[in-house]
Amino acid sequence: MRPYFEQMNTFGTEIKKGAIKRTEENVEAFLDAESQIDAEVARVKNAGFSTEKINARGEMTVWQRIDYLVDEGSWTPLHTIYNPANNEEGTTNVIDGLGKISGKWAVIIGFDNKVMAGAWLPGQSDNILRVTDLAKRLNVPLIWLVNCSGAKLPEQEKFYANRRGAGTPFFRHAELEQMGIPVLAGIYGTNPAGGGYQSISPTVLFAHKNCNIAVGGAGIVSGMAPQGGFTTEMAEVLIEKAKENRAKPPGSVKTHYDETGFFRYVFEEEKGVLDGLKDYMKDMPAYNPKFFRVAEPKEPAFAQEDILRLLPIEQKKVYEFDEILARVVDGAEHLEFRAGYGPEIYTGLCKVDGFLVACIGNRQGYLGKDYPEYADYPGIGGKLYRQGLIKMNEFVTLCGRDRVPIIWFQDTSGIDVGDIAEKAELLGLGQSLIYSIQQTDIPMMLVVLRKGSAAAHYVLGGPQANRHNAFTIGTAATEIYVMHGETAAVATYARRLVKEKESGNDLQPIVDKMNELAKSYYDKSRPIFCAKNGLVDEIVKLTDIRKYMQAFVGSAYQNPKSICPQHQMILPRIIKG
Amino acid sequence: MSEDIVAPLAGKIIAINIEAGQKVEEDEEIFIIEAMKMETSIYAPCDGTIKAIKVKKGDSVEEDAILGTIE
Repeated sequence: MRPYFEQMNTFGTEIKKGAIKRTEENVEAFLDAESQIDAEVARVKNAGFSTEKINARGEMTVWQRIDYLVDEGSWTPLHTIYNPANNEEGTTNVIDGLGKISGKWAVIIGFDNKVMAGAWLPGQSDNILRVTDLAKRLNVPLIWLVNCSGAKLPEQEKFYANRRGAGTPFFRHAELEQMGIPVLAGIYGTNPAGGGYQSISPTVLFAHKNCNIAVGGAGIVSGMAPQGGFTTEMAEVLIEKAKENRAKPPGSVKTHYDETGFFRYVFEEEKGVLDGLKDYMKDMPAYNPKFFRVAEPKEPAFAQEDILRLLPIEQKKVYEFDEILARVVDGAEHLEFRAGYGPEIYTGLCKVDGFLVACIGNRQGYLGKDYPEYADYPGIGGKLYRQGLIKMNEFVTLCGRDRVPIIWFQDTSGIDVGDIAEKAELLGLGQSLIYSIQQTDIPMMLVVLRKGSAAAHYVLGGPQANRHNAFTIGTAATEIYVMHGETAAVATYARRLVKEKESGNDLQPIVDKMNELAKSYYDKSRPIFCAKNGLVDEIVKLTDIRKYMQAFVGSAYQNPKSICPQHQMILPRIIKG
Repeated sequence: MSEDIVAPLAGKIIAINIEAGQKVEEDEEIFIIEAMKMETSIYAPCDGTIKAIKVKKGDSVEEDAILGTIE
């Protein structure tokens, strides 16, 4: 298949001087918006105790541990500002992402030991479940850096129980292990109760000499059966018992290395634990990349900074999606599937680091007076019409057959609406695309370049496809909502306006409510809101989109459970004709 | 040699970023047309001087209408 993939068709054009001149403001606006995201990330990184204070105790912070653990330049953070319960700590208290360790991709997650010694907080278990889902979808090892003081007790009602509560990750760990996905844990500090299960549920335990893991920690062991309240005499007894347990906490290395043997390895130094994990990762199951590469990796043909000029931050401005795609794939090369049919959608095969990847994206702008063919009105990119939906159904199905991972690029205002569109079967074709995605069993990634809206956000590989969508990234221009705020205000208040008008009442109070609703939609669709509430898994810089694609594609091809021999692929043959 | 600058779609002219006699560079934004809730920019097809502008802000134009000429 070398003739198909070694040198594919080139696309994309150099940005001309006039375009550079007209896009200066756009570059400035994007950099400013990205700096606001940076500020949020810095706030999470600086949460809790200072690095100096943790280091003065002889400990590394979780950030330092991750930095030491991963191969240089490979850390691809996810969920950094995810905080769906709006915790006052500003974090779910776990830090996670994809990274290479000893040359192999892994999902990495660690408790932030700067914040309440790595306590369970509201929203954390959902963060962990996103991470276990990621390891499951990509079939790569999950690496834990455990340092967990257990539940933040004053808020236990928010996360201890429930269907996706703090105990659920332990079942997920068991599920991963049953699927043959190893979970390695480096263990530090005091890990009582919940922290104990965080430590014991992984596959192989790498302990620091000062750590301890236990069903109950010193606090619980020091306690007593409830007696209807407390007295000062009881308090004195508690103090003595707490002192004893503090000096000799349950579940130390002496117990769990020397006695139970739960700890497979014990290390004197903090870095020793990480070195142990690195050493183990060398032996984790992974194909040599050459097994799946269809060509030698190539650098992009254009600068990543071009994307700051090509993607207008102003939502109403149209742009050339193909030009952006040409920047993020190897050598600006592709094989477009059904060019000309369903012009509102790009579908094609590209390469990332020499691996074959399928790309699907919304094209923007006017689609020509004869499109959509079923209607007497003009079509505009960003919307989905009959041909585009049919094309995506075909392409996704063939990608499933050929085992090609898919990267979706969304900037969509929705599927065409109205009775003409209904007669053109768009409702059925949208759900058909969901069916097509569900039957592929291949990993997918989504980039919400700007707008994710209406049912199109679902059918274009949205995070709702959570058996397939490994993760979703957004940009500083991302906005996600069921519909535009002003459209929502009209839908909500149009009838009320008629009623008030017919009653001869002042319309201003209703108009004020409409403006309030539109403003609320705006505020609740911003990039930071989307990341904080999990509508995307990370907001990334435009110049980092390719880096996330590399992490996704590298992970997806590291140890896939299913293979299509290159010479038995049908998609490239169909494209060639 | 002069070249017509045509509207790629029907819509309303919401911005004219040039004046007659102004020098422009290829791909510089010279008009913006609003249609179907989106703004479509019209770029200079080549380096040159704007010879004439045949529309004004607020005009509705048809597809292929001549918006101006560049020399």
